[in-house]
Amino acid sequence: MLRKGLFAMVLSVVIMPMFFTPAFAAPEPYLVGASISVTGPGSEPLAPIKDALDIYFKEVNAKGGINGHPVKLLIEDSMNEPSRAATQARQLVTQNKVSLLILGGLSSLYAPVVQIAEQYNVPLLFLGVCPPEVYPPKADANQFCSTAFGIKFDSSFAVPFIHEQSKGSSLKLALEAMNVPLSRNEIDWAEQLAKGMGIEVVDKEVTPPPTADFTPFATKMKSSGATWAYSYGPWGMEVRTFEALRKLGWKGKYLAYGHIQAEDELKRLKDDDFYVYGTNAFFADNTQAHQRIKAMSEKEKTVYPYTQLTDGWIGATVIEEILKKVSWPATPDKVRESMNQLKVDTQGLKGGPIVWTKTNHYRTTGYYRAYKWDSKKNGIVIAKDWTAIEVK
Amino acid sequence: MQIIVNTVVLASLYSLIGCGFVLIYRASRVVNLAQGELMAMGGYFLFTVAMGLFKDPVPSFFVASIFSMALGFMIYLFLMRFMAGESVFAAILATIALGILLRGLITLIWTSQLWHPLEKMGITNGSHTLIKDAVISTFGIVTVLSAFLIYVALFLCLKFTRWGLRMQAVGENPLLASRRGIKLHNYYALSWGVAAFTGGFAGMIQSCDSILEPGMVAIGLKTFPVVLVGGLDSLIGVIPGAFIVAIAEVIAINYISPQASEAAPFIVLLAMLLIRPWGLFGTKEELERV
Repeated sequence: MLRKGLFAMVLSVVIMPMFFTPAFAAPEPYLVGASISVTGPGSEPLAPIKDALDIYFKEVNAKGGINGHPVKLLIEDSMNEPSRAATQARQLVTQNKVSLLILGGLSSLYAPVVQIAEQYNVPLLFLGVCPPEVYPPKADANQFCSTAFGIKFDSSFAVPFIHEQSKGSSLKLALEAMNVPLSRNEIDWAEQLAKGMGIEVVDKEVTPPPTADFTPFATKMKSSGATWAYSYGPWGMEVRTFEALRKLGWKGKYLAYGHIQAEDELKRLKDDDFYVYGTNAFFADNTQAHQRIKAMSEKEKTVYPYTQLTDGWIGATVIEEILKKVSWPATPDKVRESMNQLKVDTQGLKGGPIVWTKTNHYRTTGYYRAYKWDSKKNGIVIAKDWTAIEVK
Repeated sequence: MQIIVNTVVLASLYSLIGCGFVLIYRASRVVNLAQGELMAMGGYFLFTVAMGLFKDPVPSFFVASIFSMALGFMIYLFLMRFMAGESVFAAILATIALGILLRGLITLIWTSQLWHPLEKMGITNGSHTLIKDAVISTFGIVTVLSAFLIYVALFLCLKFTRWGLRMQAVGENPLLASRRGIKLHNYYALSWGVAAFTGGFAGMIQSCDSILEPGMVAIGLKTFPVVLVGGLDSLIGVIPGAFIVAIAEVIAINYISPQASEAAPFIVLLAMLLIRPWGLFGTKEELERV
């Protein structure tokens, strides 16, 4: 009996501390919650964000995390459904107690998720589409954005670019958007800019989201006598219209916003008059950052090709820089404070750093570049190098 | 002239997708709201076959067609068969659930990326000039020809083969047909198989003429007004229905506003429902059943 009692006592002395001692070995993580449209309609430019965040923070955590703390990403798939995104955001904020919320989704998800961020006073970083509330001079206290494209700034590069490229030849411009607010508003803005620059706008097509065949729209664009076409919308629409125009024998030049698929598509199409522009550098640049993304993507066997991970990678870099300035324990207030004065070195993935201030949660300067295919060089070339556009 | 060519190609595509709706409805009185997903699956089957099995387009299309048809049979065998005897409403709900399942599978297996099966097959979609400078793509021609051939084949099969006649009998009076020894399930399964094949084939052509992406399922839903205009129980009605909707769309793009093309099919549908609710070639009796 005594022996049994002693054994139990010794056992309890050895075992009990294992249950009641805090987990001294593992430091608490920075909790970052994300609602990303990994699946669902319109998710093709958004789904790779998850891949990029995953591989980026796997590497960060393997190197010891940030300020000695690992980063724990809680990523939910919103399927581009507003109600689902709102539920996920609420859960991430109230149950998981994240100190930073991320939204990678279409504009339809803004309102419900922004409402949660405002209600619980948690900073919200957009890695999908940027709302105008991040622009200066009155940026919303809780809304920030590191995404490549920005309404009203993109066409401010695109239209002068077309004007510049067509110098010495007649310029008749056809415009194309998808019938969704973001795309339509930007094309309306481009039309305004073009007219202001004395460019003749001969046609403007607004295509419905479920379009089986873009040929009827392309027919109209071609018959308008356009020498240039500018398309701003989802990549599928941009490229399908271009291909429909070419099938009809249109010989003009075409500029499209360069979404994440653009680099691979330039290689597929091999058309010298197809231009794409954007704010991210292509892998053709082969910078160290590009090599790092490629190596990590291949090592971790990402679902999406490495060429589509740049935007998500830049987002991850931004998150790392934010958290570096957040002392432990991390709180939404500390994170917001860090975000209000941030300068992120994009390591050649953009034309310059992403700088946020208290009044500008988008970037103080946007850097744009245009690329095209060059048959003579059998590769992608820069059609116009980094052009800075002040964001005021 | 180009406008006419565009209309014919669009109408042919709608006809191909639309006949699947009618075949299933005629045989089993079920409105298959997953026809868009069946169409997309065809495109993804072609892409997979072209990527892993064959590089040549003909065997790729052939094998992908077999996969599409097999999918139709499987859907009947493992899902719709159990809806026999249930209300039509329950069966329609089952097709909605099926659509959600297939959409999920598409993203799970092939992700949300945009794919180009043509690239995998190593061929290009060339342009061909017709009269008066009107241009048509290679797969535009394939769309028109395959719609024509499939409809001819379906009419011949339904009129002159034993399977076709029995399929019609099953659709018209299942009780009597079963009393005559016709195995109903076999013919329902056949209708699902053929519908999945025609829809899938449309998806294969569409993915070659354009792009392969999960969003193409929406085209299936856009085709729904086509079959309602033509008459839900009329195979021949799909053709004029497709032409009317395609003409409305093309006219809206060219003469009203590009944005109006989105609403055009539904305006035509509303007009038809007001004038002749059972469609151009449909029957009143069928409408009451719906």
